[in-house]
Amino acid sequence: VSCSMAGEEDFFLEEKRFKQCCEDFVKHSQQIGDGWEWRTSKDLGDGYLSKTHFQVRNRHIPPDLKEKSNDNTEQTLFAHVEEPLDDSQAAGVCSTDDVVRYEYHVLYSSSYQAPVLYFRACFLDGRPLTLDEIWGSVHACYQARLQEGPWDTITQQEHPILGQPFFVLHPCRTNEFISAVLGGSQEHHRHTNYIILWLSTVGPVVGLNLPLSYAKLGPEQSTNAD
Amino acid sequence: MTDDKDVLRDVWFGRIPTCFTLYQDEITEREAEPYYLLLPRISYLTLVTDKVKKHFQKVMRQEDVSEIWFEYEGTPLKWHYPIGLLFDLHASNTALPWSITVHFKNFPEKDLLHCHSKDVIEAHFMACIKEADALKHKSQVINEMQKKDHKQLWMGLQNDKFEQFWAINRKLMEYPPEDNGFRYIPFRIYQATTERPFIQKLFRPIASGGQLHTLGDLLKDVCPSAITPEDGEQKTQVMIHGIEPMLETPIQWLSEHMSYPDNFLHISIIPRPTD
Repeated sequence: VSCSMAGEEDFFLEEKRFKQCCEDFVKHSQQIGDGWEWRTSKDLGDGYLSKTHFQVRNRHIPPDLKEKSNDNTEQTLFAHVEEPLDDSQAAGVCSTDDVVRYEYHVLYSSSYQAPVLYFRACFLDGRPLTLDEIWGSVHACYQARLQEGPWDTITQQEHPILGQPFFVLHPCRTNEFISAVLGGSQEHHRHTNYIILWLSTVGPVVGLNLPLSYAKLGPEQSTNAD
Repeated sequence: MTDDKDVLRDVWFGRIPTCFTLYQDEITEREAEPYYLLLPRISYLTLVTDKVKKHFQKVMRQEDVSEIWFEYEGTPLKWHYPIGLLFDLHASNTALPWSITVHFKNFPEKDLLHCHSKDVIEAHFMACIKEADALKHKSQVINEMQKKDHKQLWMGLQNDKFEQFWAINRKLMEYPPEDNGFRYIPFRIYQATTERPFIQKLFRPIASGGQLHTLGDLLKDVCPSAITPEDGEQKTQVMIHGIEPMLETPIQWLSEHMSYPDNFLHISIIPRPTD
């Protein structure tokens, strides 16, 4: 996403607001069973959003089944697979290469004053996906942008709280496109849940989709104190 | 009287004498001799160890060699940390040369980032510089530079060219005349004992009254346990580039003169030796 807006004031997300948006986000996730939770670090009290889900990659799966794979329990996944498939499809679906376990974390970057999406992915046998495999799995409509600058888009980095290797969607341009969407003054959009807005935009790049009901999270449901 | 600019050279040309030994379980066709090398403190392991790799590959079969990784006393060494930081954090109070073990098998996926090419190192280095400038100048200085300037920073580091690097880097060390320093200081504080890899927070170099914040002020704010003496005795050392700067040193000065090429101050909190 590249947009130049001369004179447009940059939108920055303060950490307090980040935490509040995450709290509201998790509340809604719990209501609809979307699997997000907030994890607090023991030492400094900062934290992050976390969600794990399984994605089936086998292209023999009929499209309507594949859409349902947002459920994050193995049982539900296999239940879907029991629907009528011919022998070759059934055999393909159960191999460990077809299911990828994705773990998504949303952290706050004080340097960019924006949220950052970290994720890791592995096959059921524990083998992690390589950077090339991750780049290959980026949705078709984002491939062009990825090819332009793969090293500016998704790279492997150390998780700042857990200290383990994760893949990261680079945050440096986040505030650019958020400003484009929000426009106006920050006051005007006080009740917009920044996390829903941001995650619904960047998540799909890496296979993370938000159910539409998140859009319903309006001012009356948000718990902003002011 | 030493010029401040001499500090920049001393930091850039710092070296650590290192002995690389092949892990005993690696499969070799002949015995592998250790390899000695002076490592630049300001660089990265995978950027400066091509000769090490070649040396050990000479006694191994192609099929037994996959991605190289390094370990010190059982701890996998993160190549994406500058070498000087790794040494200060893990080995500064042990005898030289620094003894590093070389591996070509069983890459520790859960601990280390992959480094399949120099492009990965360049991407990481530039990402750090960009983040540092986001803190110092809201990214204005780095974004105004041309691609060739970014390239020159990387080439300066890769080829150990002080002048080439600083011709561009000096712009990242400037600030508007009306200010007395950067917006925020790019720093990270490391302690080997924590699960969290480092502490990084927003910290202004100038107080609201205009006074310069010191290294001591930073530590008090971000990591008070590092300087609070227990029973009156200081159990830890605060180390940057192998020395313990005075806590009274202005943090703005440290940021301009003792940052690594990635423009971050990487600070180690380590146990004070008891002898």
